[in-house]
Amino acid sequence: MPTPAFLKVAASRIAALLGLVVLIGIMPWLSGRGAEYTILRARYSDREPTPETLAAIRAELGLEHGPLAMLGSWLQRVVTGDLGTSWISNTPVAPGVVAALSVSVTLMGFALAAASIIALLIGVPAVVDGLRQRRGPASGALSAALTSLPEFLLAAMLLVVGAIWLRWFPPFGWKGPEYSVLPALALGIPAGGLMGLLLSDAVRAGFGEKWVATWRLAGAQPGQLTRAVLRRALPSVLPQIGLVLIGLTGGAVAVEKVYAIPGLGRALLGAASAQDIPALQAGMLALLALALLVGTLTTAVRYVLIGPAIRFGTLPLPDPLQSGSRRRLAVPAVASASLLLMVMAGLVRDPFTSAHARLALPTWALPFGADASGRDLLARVGHGAVGTLGTALVVVLVCLAVGIAVGLFPLAATGPLEVANAAPPILAGLVVAAITGPSAQGAALAVAAVGWAPLAAHTAALAQEARAQSYVQILPVLGVGRARIMLRYILPAVVRPLLRHAMLRLPGVALALAALGFLGLGPQQPSPEWGLILAEGIGYVERAPWTVLAPASALVLASVLAVSLAGAGGTAVPASPPQNTGKLPTTPAGTGRQRAAVR
Amino acid sequence: MTAALTAHGISFAHPSRGFRHRQPTETLANVSLSLTPGTSTALVGSSGSGKSTLVRILLALANPSAGTVMLDGRTVSPGPARALRWYRRAVQYIPQNPAGSLDPRMTVSQLLMEPLRQLRVEGNHRSLIGEALDRVEVPATLMGRRPGELSGGQNQRVAIARALVVSPSYLLADEPVSGLDLPLRDTVLSLLDGLVREEGLGMLLVTHDLATAARICGTTAVLAKGSIVEHGPTDQVLENPASPAAVELVKASAGLQLQGTVPAVAL
Repeated sequence: MPTPAFLKVAASRIAALLGLVVLIGIMPWLSGRGAEYTILRARYSDREPTPETLAAIRAELGLEHGPLAMLGSWLQRVVTGDLGTSWISNTPVAPGVVAALSVSVTLMGFALAAASIIALLIGVPAVVDGLRQRRGPASGALSAALTSLPEFLLAAMLLVVGAIWLRWFPPFGWKGPEYSVLPALALGIPAGGLMGLLLSDAVRAGFGEKWVATWRLAGAQPGQLTRAVLRRALPSVLPQIGLVLIGLTGGAVAVEKVYAIPGLGRALLGAASAQDIPALQAGMLALLALALLVGTLTTAVRYVLIGPAIRFGTLPLPDPLQSGSRRRLAVPAVASASLLLMVMAGLVRDPFTSAHARLALPTWALPFGADASGRDLLARVGHGAVGTLGTALVVVLVCLAVGIAVGLFPLAATGPLEVANAAPPILAGLVVAAITGPSAQGAALAVAAVGWAPLAAHTAALAQEARAQSYVQILPVLGVGRARIMLRYILPAVVRPLLRHAMLRLPGVALALAALGFLGLGPQQPSPEWGLILAEGIGYVERAPWTVLAPASALVLASVLAVSLAGAGGTAVPASPPQNTGKLPTTPAGTGRQRAAVR
Repeated sequence: MTAALTAHGISFAHPSRGFRHRQPTETLANVSLSLTPGTSTALVGSSGSGKSTLVRILLALANPSAGTVMLDGRTVSPGPARALRWYRRAVQYIPQNPAGSLDPRMTVSQLLMEPLRQLRVEGNHRSLIGEALDRVEVPATLMGRRPGELSGGQNQRVAIARALVVSPSYLLADEPVSGLDLPLRDTVLSLLDGLVREEGLGMLLVTHDLATAARICGTTAVLAKGSIVEHGPTDQVLENPASPAAVELVKASAGLQLQGTVPAVAL
């Protein structure tokens, strides 16, 4: 008898988790020859990099014995509570990580409160519409707009408005509750927007189901009905809400950097930039534990809501609401046209020469002004688009290839897929930058390393649908082997919608790359990269707000494009595992149910 | 005994799922059945009686938990495509909803070429395809069409032609007419009948409807709750059903026939 599906899934999850721990454990070895130079520079600046000195440091680190021995001794120390010693300061990293973690968890608590309020504000109209028996649109433009802004951009914008123009809140630091308002908003607005979006769609779909009409006829009170619909809607969105919460850890890195908050995110960023790998290892372990906790909690809540009697997968998922109005196409059309105009105008100008006055004001000849080195900002943003979007295109194609390859074998891939789906690209960027040093290629690698998951999940869903077709089910009888079924029948059936999906992810990938650039984990000066340009401008935002205007508007346009396209493409993504249509019944195979997160 | 497709003592239990539902549900218990060339057997049963599972086992798509399927003395069990080529050349299948069993992206000739190539059938494939289409009375001019460009009846015939193109000795037909309107039903059943009578194929016709069985099958086996409760000449089963399940089926098909004669009343 073949291995039951749930065992395969469990084995795959455990393997993925172990893989992560191993990856964290052998990071010093992966970083190669960089390690001893890092330590030499930081601690023994008086000594020459002679072969003897370097060898001594290597021996001290245990780099000589290969990755396995290093992993073993690291695991041994971790189990006993010793998280290692910083390569830079030569002090234990554990106390710093614990202190930073407590700051980050507090910040995330505030962010969660903000997100919940926003999600409620978005979700309540859905309930009201449902009770009044109105079938409203699937999602409002407001929540889509809120969702579209990446945390690093929102943090920068809130800093400018709330701390510098209005002077309502302190701009930097972590000394009291008033310091947490802006960061909590920067983290909570996109997360709350997404949560509200998911929730209101699920509630609207719930109110559209047939049993609701029956309950109404039976005289159910609005309160009763609302409770029942919520209980019906929540389980299907809880896993995604869990993902949003885990995603907060990535956003926290950027937000903590912008507001100079001594949290885990900023500590990780510092460790990655300095290639202080033990500190990064400890921080990553803490984040992994946090993510596991969140994942377990959401699963537990979901289990309680559904009730133990019903197994996962037996509850039919609500049908996604279709809304193919022309208005939905208008938003991405306007956004892409403006973006194109900006890029075309910028491309013909020179992005590298300091031909203008420092921080020159915008004029007709210089529409976005000049940056602190006197370079034309319009030109920099235009050229940056080629770099950022071009890299994003390569990343998306790599993700597509990996996603298809992985998605055709969904059961074995469940664990890696869930990890990649949950891992924020910023954290992947931190790991890659710590190992290879920050570079454009490293950033691309990091985004690709986590970006394939939604495409793999979509492939798995489409392939499952294709497999259930009776024209595929009959193939074994005609002597068609497994490989040929996959290549000749399943692949042609899935490749077109996947290509479309991959292209829709392009702006989102570009934003992830820009976030890494903003944090200094991507291309370095003087590359005109959007995130990098924004990071350069942020220091001068008080004196010359226009320095952030050009990159920020390009990023906002890309964000609007990302979410409006994802929304338009969302209807093409099947939300429920398709029913077996052929009469030839398949022997029960577990349905690897995956979800494609919006971001 | 000469060439025969036999199932002997077949039992099948669905593998248990998850932790909670440990007791496997038995869908077939000790079922034996034998097909010989030139005869047709009806396998009749209500839905859930285990018909489809038995067909899957006979097609070597599922492993029985007990019992064996044999063709000409060789045991058959699920395995890699290449190991089963000999069996698939001998035993072919007409699915329910045949139109859906045709890949919409392929033309009629591609659809028929696939089993010839994959099962390594010898001979001139082009002329074999022409002959098969001829047997089911599909004009050769339709060879370049795709399923979407054909009528339901034509698709049905193409699916039958795809089963016949490898010159099998046995045909397993799973509710081949249940999705068709009445005139089309007649022509398809006569077509299948002709294959058995004139070309000597052995056929298993799976159906929930005894009337269909009575049209063309000499022998009828009634499957109820995973066991064969009645097995004999079709007339005998129809006129003198012994088991309660068979009585139910006879009543149901008589009721259907009665309904057919009464002018339809709009509801």
